[in-house]
Amino acid sequence: MIGQMLGHCRVVAKIGEGGMGIVYRAYDEVLHRDVAVKVVNKDLRLDSSASQSLLHEARASSSLAHPNICTVHEVGETDGELYIVMELVEGKSLRAMSTDAGLPPESVLRYGVQIASALARAHDRGIVHRDLKTANIVVTSHGLVKVLDFGLAKQVGGGIFEGTTRSFATIQDASSVSGTLPYMAPEILRGDAADYRSDLWALGVVLYEAASGRLPFGGRTGFEISSAIMREIPNPLGPPVPPGLWAIIQRCLTKEPIQRYQRAGEVQAALEAVQSAGIASTSPSADRGAPRTTVLHSVRHAQVRKGDFLLLLGTTKGAFILRSNAQRSRWEVGGPYFHGHSVYAMAFDNRGGRHRIWASTASYWGTLLRSSDDFGKSWTNPQQATIRFPSDTGVSLKNIWQIALGRPEEPNVLYCGVEPAALFETRDAGETWSLLRGLFDHQHRPRWMPGNGGLALHTILLDPADNQRMYVAISAGGVYRTNDGGLTWTAQNQGIRAMTMPDKYPEFGQCVHKIAMHPARPHRLFLQSHWGLYRSDNCAENWLDIANGVPSDFGFAMLAHPRNPDCVYIVPVESDEFRCACDGRLRVYRTRNGGVSWEPLMRGLPQKRAYETVLRDAMTADSFDPVGLYFGTRSGQLFGSRDEGRTWQKILEGLPSVVCVRNAVVEGASGGLGPTLPKAATASLHHTKSLSKSKTRRPKR
Amino acid sequence: MSVTFHIPGALREFTAGHSTVEIEHSPATLADALSALWTLYPGVRDRIATEQGQVREHINIFIGDENVRYTGGLASPIPARSEISIVPAVSGG
Repeated sequence: MIGQMLGHCRVVAKIGEGGMGIVYRAYDEVLHRDVAVKVVNKDLRLDSSASQSLLHEARASSSLAHPNICTVHEVGETDGELYIVMELVEGKSLRAMSTDAGLPPESVLRYGVQIASALARAHDRGIVHRDLKTANIVVTSHGLVKVLDFGLAKQVGGGIFEGTTRSFATIQDASSVSGTLPYMAPEILRGDAADYRSDLWALGVVLYEAASGRLPFGGRTGFEISSAIMREIPNPLGPPVPPGLWAIIQRCLTKEPIQRYQRAGEVQAALEAVQSAGIASTSPSADRGAPRTTVLHSVRHAQVRKGDFLLLLGTTKGAFILRSNAQRSRWEVGGPYFHGHSVYAMAFDNRGGRHRIWASTASYWGTLLRSSDDFGKSWTNPQQATIRFPSDTGVSLKNIWQIALGRPEEPNVLYCGVEPAALFETRDAGETWSLLRGLFDHQHRPRWMPGNGGLALHTILLDPADNQRMYVAISAGGVYRTNDGGLTWTAQNQGIRAMTMPDKYPEFGQCVHKIAMHPARPHRLFLQSHWGLYRSDNCAENWLDIANGVPSDFGFAMLAHPRNPDCVYIVPVESDEFRCACDGRLRVYRTRNGGVSWEPLMRGLPQKRAYETVLRDAMTADSFDPVGLYFGTRSGQLFGSRDEGRTWQKILEGLPSVVCVRNAVVEGASGGLGPTLPKAATASLHHTKSLSKSKTRRPKR
Repeated sequence: MSVTFHIPGALREFTAGHSTVEIEHSPATLADALSALWTLYPGVRDRIATEQGQVREHINIFIGDENVRYTGGLASPIPARSEISIVPAVSGG
């Protein structure tokens, strides 16, 4: 089979085998992607109507577009070989992960929510899995669950006893029912047809096995297992399994289908409620009596729906997701996520139909890039850090300062700017990252000097008009530009003062705090330096001083208006020594003429003893008309304006130091939305007063 | 002779919930013991060590009661039946 073509897929290697058939890794030569191909075992002796049914079922399941369902791309028949082309999922099966002691409850809940969400989607489309088991559930290195083989069990009779786990490998008495015995619901053993609720029984078995490392209904023979399923009550699960999770498992494992949950969405909501209620970190018995700190994680999730407007907040002690709608007058707060970790960079990626939130987390335990496809309910937590310096560099990652999306036509490309200063790129949507050597090996790099915040590459700008041109800003190295897609880089700092160096206008080494580009006029850039405000009208060839009438040209944040290329916002601070709002008056400054003059915007902002600092990524502008502006402060306040900065309102206070603010409009999202959202997440932590009464319009697209 | 690792709560997600992990064979050095630990539980590795293999700045490792920073770091010898503790340092803001 290796090397053969099945449809337009060339078989590359065998990756697995089960009762249903052999699974191969293959390469789709038309769509240029890696895929998995399952070739159905001829020994199953499907007659033509069964073959047709299997094809029909597989085609139906191919309609299940859901992040937690392994996508069926194609089904076909060639030379009598029945095959199914699927998304290639690389990870570990939940069976392999469910070690003897079971997984931590947090993981069981995180995976359980995703499995239930997948089932809910399939059930909504009238598809029953019929063979849900831990061997059919794969967890990727990012913690994303993929449920395999939806709807494929029904048509293949007794042939798929491939996954009988552990001591059940010798079951001989495969009957005419389909499925895997230890996961089978009592009604199936009685000869009734499988329906949605049989899947929910199997989900109960999966959760039990994941939480405890053992199956709820055991036995040495098929008869003993069947008997246990029909009659016995599973052994209770105690700590560390929280009582709420055990209650959900029990209800899934109720013998009578009518007494179980009736919809997968209900199980999902129940699991999310346990997640939200928090899990006391209960230590195993070995720790009893030993002094320990119990941390109660109480995380609420924002209920996000299509059309919602989100603010993503990174702070020095975790991340928050604020949800509102186009009115932007009431806010629901999700979080804190990543308790105690610094989140210096966040991003929202809506390319390619996804709705993924990215966050970088830094703590004692290192720096990781994490993502969520369900608006924060679950986050990836990769076993191995995906952004890492190669061993020959001798350098270790300290922080990720910026996450930048690649161009719209390359939806799997992202960039990360990191400390120590370097640029990483992914071309497979974050699965693997590589160091851009052209910049890292630049002859200037040994002479870049760390600023107060470390030696960081904190800003990445892509020229929308030239797909080979990109800019980065390094503190303290200055601005660098590539015109060849990142292979080579040149310093672009002509005209920028370096107050801390003997040569006031060096080629590089300036402590640039932020650069901003207007998408409609990409050859124009604005720059906020350690001391100094600049504009370039020629792709950073040289820079003009535009500090005309600002109270201080020291500052961090700088924001380009999304539509007016002459309009830029800054928040000056008093000085290098006293990095607080000038005179204790919190004022945003705006230019509407490219920096010829600046005006203060302060209505609604504190003007007495407001010794605030707005850091370089803590300000964002939305895409509505008029534009909404938002910024967070080092003291943990969040302010917003719905009228381009004319008036401001406080949205939140009491946050940890805000280091990153981003915004997003949720469009055309799938998964994690709609009526299956948990009731537990509906309570908002904080509703603020209306930001303003002015009429809002839909964002311009 | 086995050695036992004490795993802090933050890392138990990567040790299947275990607060202690026993390594059956006798590692000669801390580096050997850690290597055995993350063969068993790979997710622990990047939390304890940098990509260059150094113990992270704010993580302390004790063999018995002795901080390995004073006993040779990763080359510290591991006596039989040692108890090795992984503890975040007292620092922060």
